[in-house]
Amino acid sequence: MADLWQDAMDHAVAIARKAGAVIRDHLQGEMTVMCKSSPADLVTATDQKVEELIMASIMEKFPTHSLIGEESVSAGQPCILTDNPTWIIDPLDGTTNFIHRFPFVAVSIGFAVNKELEFGVVYSCIEDKMYTGKRGKGAFCNGKQLQVSGQTDIKQSLIITELGSSRDAEVVRHIFSSMQKILCIPVHGIRCAGSAAINMCLVAAGAAEAYYEIGIHCWDISAGAVIVSEAGGVLMDVEGGPLDLMSRRVVAANSKSVAERIVKEIEAFPAERDDVSEAGSA
Amino acid sequence: MSDPWQECMDHCIAVTRKAGEMIREALKKDISVMQKSSPVDLVTETDQKVEALIISTIREKYPSHSFIGEESVATGSSSILTENPTWIIDPIDGTTNFVHRFPFVSVSIGFTVKKEIEFGVVYSCVEDKMYTARRGKGAFCNGEPIKVSGQKDITKSVVLTEINFKENLDHFKTMMCNIQNILTIPVHGIRCPGSAAVNMCLVACGSADAYYHIGIHCWDMAGGAAIVTEAGGVIMDITGCPFDLMSRRLITASSRPIAEQIARQIQQFPCGRDDEESS
Repeated sequence: MADLWQDAMDHAVAIARKAGAVIRDHLQGEMTVMCKSSPADLVTATDQKVEELIMASIMEKFPTHSLIGEESVSAGQPCILTDNPTWIIDPLDGTTNFIHRFPFVAVSIGFAVNKELEFGVVYSCIEDKMYTGKRGKGAFCNGKQLQVSGQTDIKQSLIITELGSSRDAEVVRHIFSSMQKILCIPVHGIRCAGSAAINMCLVAAGAAEAYYEIGIHCWDISAGAVIVSEAGGVLMDVEGGPLDLMSRRVVAANSKSVAERIVKEIEAFPAERDDVSEAGSA
Repeated sequence: MSDPWQECMDHCIAVTRKAGEMIREALKKDISVMQKSSPVDLVTETDQKVEALIISTIREKYPSHSFIGEESVATGSSSILTENPTWIIDPIDGTTNFVHRFPFVSVSIGFTVKKEIEFGVVYSCVEDKMYTARRGKGAFCNGEPIKVSGQKDITKSVVLTEINFKENLDHFKTMMCNIQNILTIPVHGIRCPGSAAVNMCLVACGSADAYYHIGIHCWDMAGGAAIVTEAGGVIMDITGCPFDLMSRRLITASSRPIAEQIARQIQQFPCGRDDEESS
């Protein structure tokens, strides 16, 4: 049977590569930085330009498909996932890193049909690493197959998380509390690299045993979720149930045992769902 | 007038590159891990082999020079810095990253004469980035000149540090409090890449605006110190006093205002000194 979505995936890889080249180009120039929800939640003209480039390219080839993009949602577009084939796009994951030329910046493109993720593409463009994962077909980085780490002892594990862009005292308190509890298990260490999509790929590649965060968005994790899963990893909600793409929370790990152990220590805090309607109904 | 230490530096770069190749080879195989002072203070055979290679190669050419190497000190060698030309070596900075294959792993070598750093070499070997600096001659990455970001506004900065488990709960709490205080200045972000030497090079090339740490060692800092300074950055003690290579702590930044602002925010906790006589 012909693979229905291979065409779409090939397109995602091609457009991610083009977008990555634009990002690399812009790294050399001046950047105008704007703040979104906090003084640490940043956006640049490059984020917006790259999203337009990606969306225009997809709409030309797949005019009936739906698109969810970070900057479009910021500008008021709805963020509701339907059964329709849907591209979930972060044009520039790691905007703070981009502004500072810190080496982890990615284009992230996830693709869902009937609300199920079919493939994911994460292009870490400064490193020139193209990560891909297709449901049932494995995960790869620059053509080399990925496998999560086999480490199931939490005390021998390396954990990735982020301090986030909220500077609200209560949120920061919860974040530090979770981090403290995980460190004291003890784990080998905590790393903060600054890009959710790349963090998930690092778990998929076996460079860390788990990544967790509260406060990210569906566009940050939809591609990485497929890549982790196809590399043999697991995805979970921070309270232990199945991953909910719109919940603003994620745990991605090499194994159920590591994921469950991390979940025990995470102090959840509220984060408004991505699919909250404009009417604000609960 | 010729540079008396340029030949040493060229030799240093060559041996560092070889060491980096050895590390990359080891990354392709199984890695067995041992613990040093705590369950999170790791060492491998590769750390030991690489240090042995570096020291023997240098000693062959410079038999009268002194060495302070992380793994030699761990097995009882002195870590007292004298006036003698001294090579200060971390064979694998970021051993935890090495064990996990997390991408920031480096070889770090600083060279001192009369206790002053003459040059530094840091080879981030997974990335294949060779950072070098000779006192008074600028800093480079793979031959290209590098310089700090020049950022003076802490609220627009990315700060590097590391988050480690500590068995002493008070020290641990102070460490966490420091990070929280810096985060909520607010800064743009905090990153924890996992290698002190690479962190210093990230500041030197402008990818981050500051790095601070309490609890590292002279071999973690000696290579990077020259590189940051030659890239136009500043380096100081966490109290704001002059940098002390044996103090096990530092702040390094793209500018004095940022370094001083960090010094104001962080509280110290005891971390010992590298030149303490062991009891």
